Amino acid sequence: MLLREKIKLLVPGELSGKACFSALRDFCRKFFSNHRTETRENRISLARNFDQRALSPELHGLLGALKTIRHRILANTILRGWTKWFGWLLIALIVVAAVSAKLAGALLFIAALAAIGALTIMIWSWRDRPSKYETARRLDSAAGLKDRISTAIYLGEIEVGNGLVAEQRQDALARFAKLDPNGFFPLQFPGNVRRASVLVLVVAGLFAYRIHHRPPLVSLLQTTARSQLVQSIFSPIVHAMEKDLQRTMALVSMKPDATGEETRRADATSNSDDLWKGNNDQEAGAEDQKDSADAGAGDQPQDQLQAPGNQEGNPTGDARQDSNSQSQQGKSGSENSDGKSQQQSEQQGPEGRQSLGQSLMQALKNMMSNSPNQQSNNRTNQQPPTGQGTPQSGNSQQPGATESDKRGESRGNSDAKQKATQTASEGAGSQQGSKELRKDQETHPVNAVPDRVALEASGFKDQTRMKVATETGTAQLPVRDQSPQQDAVVNGAEQENIPARYRFYVQRYFEHADNAKQ
Amino acid sequence: MTSTVGTEGQMGGQPLGQQAEFLAEKMAEVRGEISKAIVGQAEVVEGVLIALLAGGHVLLEGAPGLGKTMLVRTLAQAVALKYSRIQFTPDLMPADVIGTSVVQENGDGRKSLGFQPGPIFTNLLLADEINRATPKTQSALLEAMQEKQVTVAHTSHLLEEPFFVMATQNPLEMEGTYPLPEAQLDRFLFKLRVPYPGREDLHDILDRTTQGTAATVSPVVNGSQILEMRKVVRAVPVAPHVQEHVVKLTLATHPENRENLLASKYIRYGSSPRGAQTLILGGKVRALLDGRYNVSMEDIRALMLPALRHRIILNFEAQADGRTPDDLLDEIAGKVCAK
Repeated sequence: MLLREKIKLLVPGELSGKACFSALRDFCRKFFSNHRTETRENRISLARNFDQRALSPELHGLLGALKTIRHRILANTILRGWTKWFGWLLIALIVVAAVSAKLAGALLFIAALAAIGALTIMIWSWRDRPSKYETARRLDSAAGLKDRISTAIYLGEIEVGNGLVAEQRQDALARFAKLDPNGFFPLQFPGNVRRASVLVLVVAGLFAYRIHHRPPLVSLLQTTARSQLVQSIFSPIVHAMEKDLQRTMALVSMKPDATGEETRRADATSNSDDLWKGNNDQEAGAEDQKDSADAGAGDQPQDQLQAPGNQEGNPTGDARQDSNSQSQQGKSGSENSDGKSQQQSEQQGPEGRQSLGQSLMQALKNMMSNSPNQQSNNRTNQQPPTGQGTPQSGNSQQPGATESDKRGESRGNSDAKQKATQTASEGAGSQQGSKELRKDQETHPVNAVPDRVALEASGFKDQTRMKVATETGTAQLPVRDQSPQQDAVVNGAEQENIPARYRFYVQRYFEHADNAKQ
Repeated sequence: MTSTVGTEGQMGGQPLGQQAEFLAEKMAEVRGEISKAIVGQAEVVEGVLIALLAGGHVLLEGAPGLGKTMLVRTLAQAVALKYSRIQFTPDLMPADVIGTSVVQENGDGRKSLGFQPGPIFTNLLLADEINRATPKTQSALLEAMQEKQVTVAHTSHLLEEPFFVMATQNPLEMEGTYPLPEAQLDRFLFKLRVPYPGREDLHDILDRTTQGTAATVSPVVNGSQILEMRKVVRAVPVAPHVQEHVVKLTLATHPENRENLLASKYIRYGSSPRGAQTLILGGKVRALLDGRYNVSMEDIRALMLPALRHRIILNFEAQADGRTPDDLLDEIAGKVCAK
C-alpha cells in the first residue's frame, strides 16, 4: 500500500518500470536504513553520525572509556541473545531425542539453525549497538552523574571558552575521573546461563541414553498403552467404536429381503400392543362399537365441555387411573416391544434387519387392515355417552366425587340421575368416555391417538374424605371429616388449574338448562 | 554571619564560570538570611529563589498563618530590592494597583494630567491574598507580569528591573475568593504550596517568635547582581535528551494527545509552552544552585509539579473522580519516563 502510494507520488500519471524500480529502491533504502525517520529523538538515540564527529581532545580519555563500555554492552547483549537462542535449541534437541528414532538429520538441521541464529543475533546486536551518546547516558544513569557525561559528549565539538561549556566539561571529566566505569558495566554471564547449562546436561544424558536405547517417549507411550489401567479406560470406548463401525458397514451392505423377514419375526415376538398387530385392534373395535351403542346421540355439543369434565371429574376414580396406567403400560409395552425387536434384530445380525422402506410398507398394510375398526372407534369417541350422569360439575369437579367413585357408586348414581332428568345437555359422560378411552387405549396402544385423552389427576385419590352432594348444580362443599388442604381448594379448581370463571360458566349452563326444563 | 551587598556590576567582567560560582555562593547566603526568619519551608524558599533568578513570578498557596507574607518580606530584605505590598480586597480597583492619571500643577501654575504610579512600580511586589480581589483587578497585573510595563491612557510605563511578583492566595475553596484567570495563572513561573510545619519546625517557630527579639535580615545581593545572575542562568547548556524529555512531558499534558489517555480523560487544557520554558529555565537555575553546569533529568522531575500544576486545567470528570493536578502530573511523568 505504501509502495503503491509512493509510486503514485513519484509518477502521477502512468506507472513506468523505471519509476517502479526507483520507488522500490527508495522504499527499501528507507526501510532498511538506520535513520528511519528524521525526528529529533532518533537523531539523539540512533544517529551514527554523532560518533563520527570530531570531539575535543580533552574528551579522548572519556571516549576511550565509553568505547570499552560500548563493547561490554554489546558483548553482554550478544551473550544474552545467544544463551536464549541456544536454550530453545537445546529444548528442541531434547524433544527430537525423545521422539525421533533417527537423529542425524535432526541434528544437522538444528546445527544449521544454531549457526544461522547466532549470526543473526550478532548482526542484529551490532546494528542496534548504543552510540557514544547513548553509552554516556547509560553511564550517567548508572553512576548517578546527573547527565554530566552525556552533556559533555554532546557539547564535545564546541570549542572551549564559549559560555559554560568549559566548566561543564571540566566538571564532567572531574567526576568521571573518580569513577571506575568498567565496574558499572562488567562483562557478565547472562542470567539464564544456569538454565542453559542444565539443558546441556539433560541433552548429553539423553543422547548417551539413545546410544543403546530407543526413543524414551515412544517406549513410554507403548508401555503405557499396554498397561491394564489404560486398557480398562479405553477398551469400552474402542469396543463401542468398533461396534458402531461394524453396524454402519452392515447397514451399507445389508440385503433387504433377508432383513424384512427377520424384522417380522422380531415383531411377532414383541408385545401384542404394537401397532403392527391388527387382531387385538379388531377385537377392541368390536367392543367399542358395542359401547358406542350405549352412548346416546346428541352429545356432540358436550364434547367440547367434556374436557374439563374429564380433567376434573375423574368419575371412575381408580378405574380411570387404571386405564391410564394401562395405557401407559401399553405405551411402554410397545416401546419395549420395539426395543426388543430391535435388540433381536441386532442380535440376529445384519441379515435379519428390515429396511426402512419395507417396515413402512408393512406398517401401512397393518393400518389399512385396522382402518375400519379405527373408524368405528373414532365414531364412538366422537359420541360421548349420554347416560353418564348429570352434567353437574360437581360430579366431575368436586373432590368428593372421588369418594363415591371409590365406593363404585358414582357411575351408577350419575347414570340414574341423568336418565331421570333426560336433559338435553346431559351426559358430560366423562365416565363413559373414559371407559371408552381405556378400551381404545387397550386396543390401539401405539400410534392410535384417541380423540379423547384420559387426563391424569393423580391428586384426586388423596381427597377421598371429601363428601359430595351430587345433585345438579350444587356447590360441592365439604361437610364432614374434612381436613382442608394447605393450598386453598375451591371446588378442586386449584388442583387442576381450571379457571374459576370457566367452571362457573359450565355450572350455570347446566343450571340454566335444568331450570328451563322445569 | 554578616553579608554585604556587592558593588553594582561586580559580576559583569568575570568569566561565566566564576559568575556561576558567585551565584551559587550568593544564593546560599540569601537562603541563610531567609532561614533566620523563616523556619523550615526549604522547598518553598528554593522555589522562590529559582523563580527570582529565572525571571519569573511566584504564586504561593497555603492556609493563613503559614508565613507566606513573612517569606516575601524577608526575601525583599535579603536581596535589597524595592518592595511594596498590595492587600487585595474585593473593592480594590485596577487603578489602585497600576496607578492613574491625575491633574497636576506645574511650577508655572499650569495644570496638566500627570501619571501617578501605583504600588506596582517596584522591584518586588507582594500581592497579598490575590484571589480576594475581583478578576478585573487581578487582570491588571497581566501586562505588568509579562511585558514588565503598564499602559495607562495610551501611555506605556516601563517597570524597573528586576520586577518580581510574589502573590499569595488562600486555597480556592475558602469563602470570599475569586479564582485567578487562567491567563494570569500561566504568567506565574511556579505555584508553590506552602505546607504546614512539622513538629521540629513548630518548636523552632515557637522558640523564635515567643522569646527574645525578632531576627534582623541583612541584604546579600542587589538588583543588578540579580540581573547578571539571570544572564548566567541562560548560559547553562541543556543536553538534547533532557530537552526532549521536557517536550514530551509538556505534550503529554495536552488532551489532544491521543497517546496519553490520562490527559484526554481528565485534562481540559494542557500546559502552554510557558510550562516547557519554565522547566528548562528552572532546571538551569537549579543546576547552578546545585553546583552543576548542566541541566539534568532530575532537575526536570523536581520542578515538574510547581511548574505545571497551575498550567493544567482539569475537567469535570477529574473533579468528580477527586483527581488533583499533582497526582495526574505524577502519573503522566511516570508514563513519559517509562517510554
